Amino acid sequence: MSERADYLPEHIREKLIHDPRVAEQDLKVDVKEHRVLLGGNVATPQLRHTMTEVAQELLPGYEIVNETTVVPATEPDGEEPVS
Amino acid sequence: MIRIAAVGDLHYGAGSQGILRPGLEHLPDRADLLLLAGDLTRCGGPEEVEVLANELRGLPIPVVAVLGNHDYHAGHEGEVRRVLEGAGVQVLEGEATAIDVDGVRVGIAGTKGFGGGFRGAHGSDFGEPEMKAFVGHTRMLSDRLERALTELDADLRIALLHYSPIETTLEGERLEIYPFLGSYLMAEAVDNAGADLVVHGHAHHGSEKGRTPAGIPVRNVAQPVIRHAYNVYTLNGRRQVKPVAAEGISLAPERLSQEQ
Repeated sequence: MSERADYLPEHIREKLIHDPRVAEQDLKVDVKEHRVLLGGNVATPQLRHTMTEVAQELLPGYEIVNETTVVPATEPDGEEPVS
Repeated sequence: MIRIAAVGDLHYGAGSQGILRPGLEHLPDRADLLLLAGDLTRCGGPEEVEVLANELRGLPIPVVAVLGNHDYHAGHEGEVRRVLEGAGVQVLEGEATAIDVDGVRVGIAGTKGFGGGFRGAHGSDFGEPEMKAFVGHTRMLSDRLERALTELDADLRIALLHYSPIETTLEGERLEIYPFLGSYLMAEAVDNAGADLVVHGHAHHGSEKGRTPAGIPVRNVAQPVIRHAYNVYTLNGRRQVKPVAAEGISLAPERLSQEQ
């Protein structure tokens, strides 16, 4: 892949959004030297893992640092009266 | 007291099986109905929504949903809707439903909604056809929402949206993307019609709580915001917020259009 470095993070973010294995818009992508930093929230541990794999396919030879958070789906602690 | 459970932005897809169901185990003891605020799938694929439908099927409380932008991505939103309905979920788009909860009629009007921005910085349906289409879509959905809410015969009324009607529940998001996260036109629709609660999703980095300009509570239930399987909001069984009467202010549309 030949890209201007200024636009590379946004191009990677777009490719991750449009890859059906990821399809996640809640993503932050930063590229420094040969390291890709991924941030944001993901719904499942599997998606987090897949995201790393897809990013690695896009930029072979780069180190992928996946700092995304898997959102918990546990029961709530209580309830809120709104009226 | 009516107990409303709500969550949005589940983004179901490959690998999601079993993610939500454990968190729903005690839902029937904790809530009278469940609202789903859109983005139920990752890409809007029928196979994705099947996974979610299997987790919702057989829940002993009513489930009402709107779709979100992700659910439209594959162009199969009709099939997504049918699969959900097959699992007993009521899906609303510019429509309303009323559910009896222990003698209290709880009305829900729902729409995906759309973007445009907020007061003082909203896009106008002016200029290129693409811009007219963008803002026109929001305006059309907001008009349908107001009509659906107004026509609801219910003791309590809830507006169920995907996009946000107010800025407050977007706090935490980047300002540059506010126009893609919601529109004040939906808040105006709700304030004109009156409601007791507004629920939306879409803004993963936003805030949970806010109010419309007329004071109606708004809750952003995007799962990355509430960080649970759902949140529960309780309402008294009588309407709190009446429709706001217009205070004799009227605009002359013909004159306005000439001035543009």
